[in-house]
Amino acid sequence: MPVRVRRKLAFAVVVVLTVLATAGIAAAANGGFTPEFAHSPNAHRINTAYWIVLVFTSVIFVIVEGALVVFIWKYRRRGRPRTAEGSQVHGNTRLEVIWTVIPVVILAVIGIVVFYELPGISNAPAAANPIRITVEGHQFYWQFDYPNGSRSINDLHVPVDQVVLLTVKSYDVVHSWWIPQLGGKIQAIPGRTNHTWFKADRAGTYYGQCAEFCGLYHEAMRARVIASTDADYRTYVSSTAASELGRAEFQGACATCHGMQGQGGYGPNLAHDPLLIQPSGLANIVRNGGVKMPPVGDSWTKAQMTALLQYAKSQIYKGASTSGG
Amino acid sequence: MAVRSDAVYPATWKSGRVASWLVTLDHKRIGIMYICTALVFFCGGGIAALLMRAQLATPNETLLTKNSYNEVMTFHGTTMIFLVVVPILAGFANFLVPLMIGARDMAFPRLNAFSYWMFLLGGIVLYGAWFASGGAPRAGWWSYPPLSENQFSPGHGQDYWILALHILTISSLTGAINFLVTIINMRARGMTWMRMPLFIWAIITYSVLLVVALPALSAGLTMLLLDRRGLTHFFLPAQGGSQVLYQHVFWFFGHPEVYIMVLPVFGMISEILPVFSRKPIFGYKAIAFSTLAIAFFSLLVWAHHMFTTGLPVGLDSFFMISSMVIAVPTGIKIFNWIATMWRGNLIFDTPLLWAVGFIALFTMGGLSGIFLAAFPIDWQVNDTYYVVAHFHYVLFGGSMFGVFGGLYYWWPKMFGRLLDERLGKWHFWLTLVGFNLTFLPQHMLGLLGMPRRIYTYSHGGLWETYNLISTIGSGIMLIGMLVFAANIYRTQILRLGKRAPNDPWVGDTLEWYTTSPPPPENFDTVPYVTSARPLRDLRRHLAEET
Repeated sequence: MPVRVRRKLAFAVVVVLTVLATAGIAAAANGGFTPEFAHSPNAHRINTAYWIVLVFTSVIFVIVEGALVVFIWKYRRRGRPRTAEGSQVHGNTRLEVIWTVIPVVILAVIGIVVFYELPGISNAPAAANPIRITVEGHQFYWQFDYPNGSRSINDLHVPVDQVVLLTVKSYDVVHSWWIPQLGGKIQAIPGRTNHTWFKADRAGTYYGQCAEFCGLYHEAMRARVIASTDADYRTYVSSTAASELGRAEFQGACATCHGMQGQGGYGPNLAHDPLLIQPSGLANIVRNGGVKMPPVGDSWTKAQMTALLQYAKSQIYKGASTSGG
Repeated sequence: MAVRSDAVYPATWKSGRVASWLVTLDHKRIGIMYICTALVFFCGGGIAALLMRAQLATPNETLLTKNSYNEVMTFHGTTMIFLVVVPILAGFANFLVPLMIGARDMAFPRLNAFSYWMFLLGGIVLYGAWFASGGAPRAGWWSYPPLSENQFSPGHGQDYWILALHILTISSLTGAINFLVTIINMRARGMTWMRMPLFIWAIITYSVLLVVALPALSAGLTMLLLDRRGLTHFFLPAQGGSQVLYQHVFWFFGHPEVYIMVLPVFGMISEILPVFSRKPIFGYKAIAFSTLAIAFFSLLVWAHHMFTTGLPVGLDSFFMISSMVIAVPTGIKIFNWIATMWRGNLIFDTPLLWAVGFIALFTMGGLSGIFLAAFPIDWQVNDTYYVVAHFHYVLFGGSMFGVFGGLYYWWPKMFGRLLDERLGKWHFWLTLVGFNLTFLPQHMLGLLGMPRRIYTYSHGGLWETYNLISTIGSGIMLIGMLVFAANIYRTQILRLGKRAPNDPWVGDTLEWYTTSPPPPENFDTVPYVTSARPLRDLRRHLAEET
């Protein structure tokens, strides 16, 4: 082997090894080569399906791109005259049948894999007492309705290792519910009720955000699922949720535009707005929206309005100011 | 033979340098105007893309405001689809169809001019939307209600958007009818269906798709406009309307639209590859019929855009299978193209570079599509940057790479000068590297959970790294495009481009039989067509005689 070729070869080997090593490290750390680590059976099964499809598509990828590279190298002109013709082959029926049938077979296998995994993804496992929670997408926050009637905003508290059945709704525009580690998306569509489920396999906090463009603050519509022990969950829904509701409502629904202290932002300053302490006025604008304000609280209960009023009164309102906000 | 009205009523003002373009009915001039206008719009759409990438380069960036980000995003999508890819392909078709089939002009030259001017008008209206009361449209290029309804998108931006799309729809529809009539009726003697250039097969299929799919868009837009400005509530659930109806109507148009944007490019690749491999296309019939198969199935896959809508599993399953079926004819094309290179004499001029780049990148886009077709996987990756990466591999790595290949290939025929090869290669390599840097990491971002269409993010770590790489890649692509602009400037404005002979690439099809650029009525005579490669036949015939 001449020195030049050997050097080229060595270079190629180094490049390939570097690429493989980088890809390997990234894959091991889940650098985005697979969906996020799954913590719910449905998400697990989606990842399994993903891996199987990845194997097939990678093989096809290597064959196609490999053939392309080899042909580019092998059949390049190399000083032949421009007009020199290549082999005048018009086709080959047997070859063409082969590369029609093989993809059909591969796709059939992928289809079978998907249908094999499907029931475990779309159907919640049978459980004696599943937790039923209603998820409402709003411009620009998530609201959760627990079985006992309590509500929370943006933070969904659930017990670990229990099946949680979600009913997903919207009253304004289309949103999409998605906590990557707990399974796939489902749109929250006004006028329609959708369903999904998960079963968190470990205590902890799972992050997600609205996945369907829903307007100005689409990016701010983030959600957390906090999975804890059954006892903690019960304490949360029976008392904590109610005591935190006013703060959660203000921070989830109002602060996006008006600032965490009501100091103003995209929306006007609230800290000195007397409307904040008028029960009917506040309820009216929260329920129906304003000039630029969406009807953030169109599905709120009286208790929710009261909670908001109390929080606003005690924490945000700083007294009327003549100088304006 | 058509009698030209300007021959009956001669008007001298029509022969002016500018005026002659304004009143032209010549398909070549109309085609060139289409292409140049689309390239100008490409700059606008490209600037929008660069702005978005700049905004997303780092976490919590505030380069743009939230409102302007959403406006720029809407503008980018709408522009690239309706003002760049579709019309630039219509431009190629306008220029090439009569030349390739040996005709003097399109069947309806006036309708043809009408199509172009409607396209320009639609573009102007869309730009006008920037000055609308209440600001530019910002509900996205797909404009789902209720967000695009009056309650959530007040002002007239959205109305301008609807008007622009209506006008562009009319432009495309009349164009498509014109192509169909021209191809069916005006082919040269001897050019049977199985002797048509594969680009012509692609255009006839593309035209049928336009005729079938565009009315759905028009209907959806009309309903949306009536919801906004009339008193209807087609898509307002609170009054008994259905949001999901809009999704069905929009994607019934929206998916065939993808193939409208890529089939003509398939046709271009099928023209370029054989010429630069010095071989016939491998499996002419398979490529022609796979085009038809793709078009047929593309009408049956629309709801794969709606897997997260909550459709019944049976429906999801149907749309998964139909979407996967499309991979088969697409695969046939890719394998046949690669086989065309087998034992060829590959001449790596710029057009072939783009064509090979197209195959490499489109394959990637096709394979990531299989993940999206498998609907449970789609439930994870839908509406994330994975999808953004996927369709940019299809529409930029695919369509636009093909378009650039086509520009380098047919430029000498259009303008009589060859684009510079050295600058062309710089253009290609910069775009290839920049493209992959921009869009490859977006697959990873999607899998890491980054949704599309978000204005900013607060995650550091890999989100930040991949986003930054992506933005750097977009900058490299910008340099590539500037090189392209320099190439055009050098070739045409400075007139430094080499003068092109009739047939600079030793081509196979009839457009190379006439001069570069061709005279007003294209040909003095057209040879009797005896195969799909009439010019090669002619060359061999001449060689035998001498």
